[in-house]
Amino acid sequence: MDVAFRIEVETLAEALDQLDYFAVLKLAAAATPAEIRAAYHRESRTYHPDRYAAVDDTPFREQIGRIYRRINEAYTVLRDDARRKKYAGDLAGPDRAGKLRFSEDDEAAVKEAQKKRAVEQLGQTPNGRKFYSAALADAQAGRWEGVERNMKMALAYEPGNERFKELLVQAEKNRPKHDFRIK
Amino acid sequence: MSDDIAVGIDLGTSYSAVATVIDGKPDVLTNEWGERTHASVVSFLEDGTVLVGNSAKRNIITNAENTVYSAKRLIGRFFFSDEVKKAQAVMPYKIVEGPNNSARVQIGERILAIPEVSALVLKEMKAIAETSLGREIRRAVVTCPAYFNDNQRQATKDAGRIAGLEVLRIINEPTAAALAYGFGKDISQRICVYDLGGGTFDVSILEIGRDVFEVIATAGDTYLGGDDFDDRIMAWLAEDFLAKHGVDLRQNKFCLQMLKEAGEKAKIDVGRDGQATIKVEGICQTPEGQVLDLEHVLGVDQFNRMVMDLVQRTFKVCDEALQSARMTASDIDAVILVGAPTRLPIVRQSVRHYFQKEPMAGIDPDEVVAQGAAIQAAALMNRSAASAGQASYLLDVTPLTLRVGTAGGWAEPVIDKNTPIPIEKSKTFTTSRDGQDRVRIRVYQGESKRADECEFLGEFEFSGFRIGYRGDVQIQVAFEIDSNGIVNVSATDTETRQKASTTIHLSSGLSENDIKSAIDKNAEVVLAGHPAS
Repeated sequence: MDVAFRIEVETLAEALDQLDYFAVLKLAAAATPAEIRAAYHRESRTYHPDRYAAVDDTPFREQIGRIYRRINEAYTVLRDDARRKKYAGDLAGPDRAGKLRFSEDDEAAVKEAQKKRAVEQLGQTPNGRKFYSAALADAQAGRWEGVERNMKMALAYEPGNERFKELLVQAEKNRPKHDFRIK
Repeated sequence: MSDDIAVGIDLGTSYSAVATVIDGKPDVLTNEWGERTHASVVSFLEDGTVLVGNSAKRNIITNAENTVYSAKRLIGRFFFSDEVKKAQAVMPYKIVEGPNNSARVQIGERILAIPEVSALVLKEMKAIAETSLGREIRRAVVTCPAYFNDNQRQATKDAGRIAGLEVLRIINEPTAAALAYGFGKDISQRICVYDLGGGTFDVSILEIGRDVFEVIATAGDTYLGGDDFDDRIMAWLAEDFLAKHGVDLRQNKFCLQMLKEAGEKAKIDVGRDGQATIKVEGICQTPEGQVLDLEHVLGVDQFNRMVMDLVQRTFKVCDEALQSARMTASDIDAVILVGAPTRLPIVRQSVRHYFQKEPMAGIDPDEVVAQGAAIQAAALMNRSAASAGQASYLLDVTPLTLRVGTAGGWAEPVIDKNTPIPIEKSKTFTTSRDGQDRVRIRVYQGESKRADECEFLGEFEFSGFRIGYRGDVQIQVAFEIDSNGIVNVSATDTETRQKASTTIHLSSGLSENDIKSAIDKNAEVVLAGHPAS
């Protein structure tokens, strides 16, 4: 193991708290899931603590340990779509420096959003659910005009439901365009 | 130099094995009689020596009260747990309550902690390796089921220390099997390891990319194994015997052991030959003094019907693992079977049906785990790895969600299951009373939101931080899971960055002093059949 690598490890271990997860995994912000996995494997080959288990240098092994725990932390967040979305959003925000690590509050926010989404999948009001299920039946049969009509009704009951809005947009895209020509 | 070698030990519920890497290839070491696997049975003999292995297994019947088997079912468990209660009912040896709600084994006047019993099995493995290799062995990698919790892992590690071994690492059995399968093969595959052992069932899904073995998800059931198959046969035999002769064989521990032996043999025979002839002469005596024999024939169809629900249960666990990995059975490139019960045709057929794939051939389900452990042991001893790189990298995960107890009996997640390890995560706690000088945190592992439905790991008390008004003092608690899957907790005052002192109230584990005295006691034990060391 050369001196250059030792210096690199020491510098990296010191700088960890200034790096975002993309930098930890040496990735571009637009990385695909396959690239994230490949980067994780690549960084593991370099920084896996097992590789240095027989090295007689405790401070060095501690630095490697810190780096590798952060690599795992980064991978845990970036491989998960919901967490990654929230994290990338925070990084782009005004408090970038305070959002380099995914905190317990972020974790809670993601779980809350997932729960909300699960509820929205079904609708929160009886009438919302009724029109939503009618719309789903229409969608299955390919009657996109029916989907549009039903989703507009459903949204009247639940104006904030993201899932409902998505389906309406889809319906508007798919329904036959009005054709004014005389047949 | 005797320092530069380490062995891999598969410490199983029913059988154990030891292996090492010779000339770059993992090899299972045999004892003097050429046996490759050794019953995890410890028999305390009258002359004070201890017999371990296949010859000790015969003593389960003749020296029942002084012979301990299936200790792994008890390791790291609380005395009040269901598993310990069940063991008390069926085991011929005495299980008593120890300090901190732990379970202990009583042999005559001696009381042993469960890790002390497992340490004797490890001592035997060490002795086998030393005789076979002709040198002293001081370091080992020991395997445990992937679904073992922190208490069980800690206890396994303690067992290694007691046996006089430096435990380089605790690795998961399915991960070890995957390593032995993919080592040096230069493959890129998604594989599923189906590990049905004597007492536990694990499934791990891995993505192998040449030298990297990434565990994507793991799931398991620590209450399901080959022993449960034996139990089904035993229950059938006993019910039938009761109907015929009006004698319940399960009431007598001696008869129960003969019944157990018959059940285990019948399972193996029926799996191999499609039919088993059960014959135990003189299994018991009626109150009138008539000696009765047990005689039966078990056909494969009948056996399959008996155990079908157990086999189905394994696939529920497979479903769970696949779901966590966000895959379906058809995404799996190869299925690896581990554990002796996977030799049963019913298990193989069901696995083939579930994955729509033939399980990998040419893998010895009894030896593959020890081989993987040996590969990992060699990797951890490799001094040139630092510059030249390693031949394999294990990227494992934690099998259970780590939680902290909150008011009202809830347990809040801190580190999710299937998170890669080693990992650390911190959580901030605030004081809830004015002038509060200590914070107590209870740590759990499990998938339930209710604390009482999770496994209790321990209680940590932090003190020595700043004293202030309530809500004023913030304490940051760092939870770390190391490469062994063992949990460490530390705390700092966020404002002063001062490290708070920690008192760990061990759940049921051994204290440092207990371990030290156990090491001495273990060193004094003379293993029967080996020269005294």
